[in-house]
Amino acid sequence: MKLYYFSEMPHHEYPDAEGEKYPSLRLGFPNRFFDRAKAAANYQRYLDEYEYADQVGYDGLMINEHHSTPSCVNVGVNMAAALLGRTTKRAKLLILGNILPIEDNPVRMAEQIAMADLISGGRVLSGFVRGVGVEQWWANANPVHNRERFEECHDLILKCWTEPGPFRWEGTHYHFRHVNPWCLPLQQPHPPIWIPGTASPETAVWAGQRGYTYVPFLVPFDIARELFDYYRQGAAEAGREVTPDNLGFLICAVTADTRAKALEAGRHFVWRMGPTLRGPIEWFSPVGMRSRAGKQFALKARPRSLATLSYEELVAERFIIAGTPDEVADGFALVQRELGIGHLLLEAQESRMDHVTTMRSIELMGAKVIPAMARL
Amino acid sequence: MRPHEETISVGGIDVHAWIGGRGDPLLVLHGAGANRGWVRWIQQVAEHFTVWAPTHPGFGRSGDAEWMEGVDDLARFHLWFIEAAGLGRPHLLGHSIGGWAAAEMATMSPGSINRLVLVAATGLKPERGEILDVFYHSDAQLRDMIVHDPKTVPEWDELFGQPPTPAGLEMADRSREMTARLSWKPYMHNPRLAHFLPRVTNPTLIVWGRDDRIVPVECGEQYRRALPGATLRVLERCGHLPPIEHPDAFARLVLDFLQGAA
Repeated sequence: MKLYYFSEMPHHEYPDAEGEKYPSLRLGFPNRFFDRAKAAANYQRYLDEYEYADQVGYDGLMINEHHSTPSCVNVGVNMAAALLGRTTKRAKLLILGNILPIEDNPVRMAEQIAMADLISGGRVLSGFVRGVGVEQWWANANPVHNRERFEECHDLILKCWTEPGPFRWEGTHYHFRHVNPWCLPLQQPHPPIWIPGTASPETAVWAGQRGYTYVPFLVPFDIARELFDYYRQGAAEAGREVTPDNLGFLICAVTADTRAKALEAGRHFVWRMGPTLRGPIEWFSPVGMRSRAGKQFALKARPRSLATLSYEELVAERFIIAGTPDEVADGFALVQRELGIGHLLLEAQESRMDHVTTMRSIELMGAKVIPAMARL
Repeated sequence: MRPHEETISVGGIDVHAWIGGRGDPLLVLHGAGANRGWVRWIQQVAEHFTVWAPTHPGFGRSGDAEWMEGVDDLARFHLWFIEAAGLGRPHLLGHSIGGWAAAEMATMSPGSINRLVLVAATGLKPERGEILDVFYHSDAQLRDMIVHDPKTVPEWDELFGQPPTPAGLEMADRSREMTARLSWKPYMHNPRLAHFLPRVTNPTLIVWGRDDRIVPVECGEQYRRALPGATLRVLERCGHLPPIEHPDAFARLVLDFLQGAA
């Protein structure tokens, strides 16, 4: 099983009491609380951590993108991929992902992903996501068109990568009279495509039909298995075989020299389960963004929101795995047995987890956990 | 006079409509909330006019129109409805997003309608203030903001006081989705509409609530200035729903205006 290192590049650099005065940390929390000097230092730090994760042997480095939120100030996932493409040597660069429905220019996106793939020597894994509602607001993209734009943006990017230009694109949401990108990915026919899932059965089926790697995020095991069943249904429709390489899963994880230290560090993950997800439903799931089937499944997938779970419950249900290297290796092996996955994505830094703790966790993962996982 | 319901097919879409009353036809276009049917003000107006109150495509019990992208599409559709229903040259009254549709229809084909009534209409960007972002707020927040004072609304219990049924919630979801389709960006206005309004010389009555917290009364002023034959009446102690908040006064205004028709 392959392991991936992931940090949301958080900006938890304001007094929590200030954040609590607002309905949500997203969209409406004023950016006067954005600390430019700390952000400048943090970007250096976060990139150092990614580079170290590459050096110790992580199979991949996952990066993501959000907007208008202190939970993630990686606001340009292709920019980060290009930087890491130059400064890392061997790990895959898992972009998970580009937010397709809010993109107005899929041709430029296809070029940017291609450029990152070229700079990295063909190490890009190109994830595509529908985004959370907050991004629809940020981009002022009509949430009613979220799925249609996701699919059409995907189709145009794939065409940019696989069909010779110039060609014309007159679609429903995208119109380009002259498509002829002079930047194509090194990997042929194109970088592998990954799709995350949290609650949408349609997305799982869609990914299965295309043979893309499908990765549920932070859901209970039984829900992940159900989403994988939808994925298999889509794969079967297309006559595709499903192997562990098609399936991944995301959890939070940290290791340290002692169990006590690891459990203390793991508490930093609580911020991403509760405070950063707090906010009106209209902001996180605006009108029309989810189908009725998706809404019903979401209710089932999250009978209790992550925010209502205590730290101990989050650990017990393995949304968070924190312990000595041997303990986390056992935990990862259990996830692998439960879900039959080939890729485990570790959200490995969060909130105010400091640099020293993060680097030690990366080091121990490299020395003791990654080799054990490679044998699974 | 009791109304009846009909389904009228227009361009392949089944349009649900309430129809009733006597006299010249008056086409009534509802707002984003819903087609509230045979409410008090309509009953009074229907004593003198035949009221046609269709439900917009994508709303309530009318069929889907997922291909529509803006209120100008809705306007063209309702001009077609006028022909399909054989209304001749009806008076036209629209509230909120229905008022915006009515204004668009008047600019597209002023000869197709008789007198025009715009009520708390969206469609123009306010020169001061903003149109409230209804998608950004919860139903509970909107309910607090939509009227001046629920206690003075005669039909409040009947229209808003009942707990919603699952079918009602589903219908409300669908209507909200259609509203987003029609008005997401630019939000609740058409930057080109004001340029066409001077074409509309039809006698026009504009009605607004002084305390409208959804669409600022400023927009009523802007419509009045842009429409050559328009009068603006602003109701005191009234929010975004003049026909519901002050049904008797509203019906009186509408009747006086329409009965002045040549």
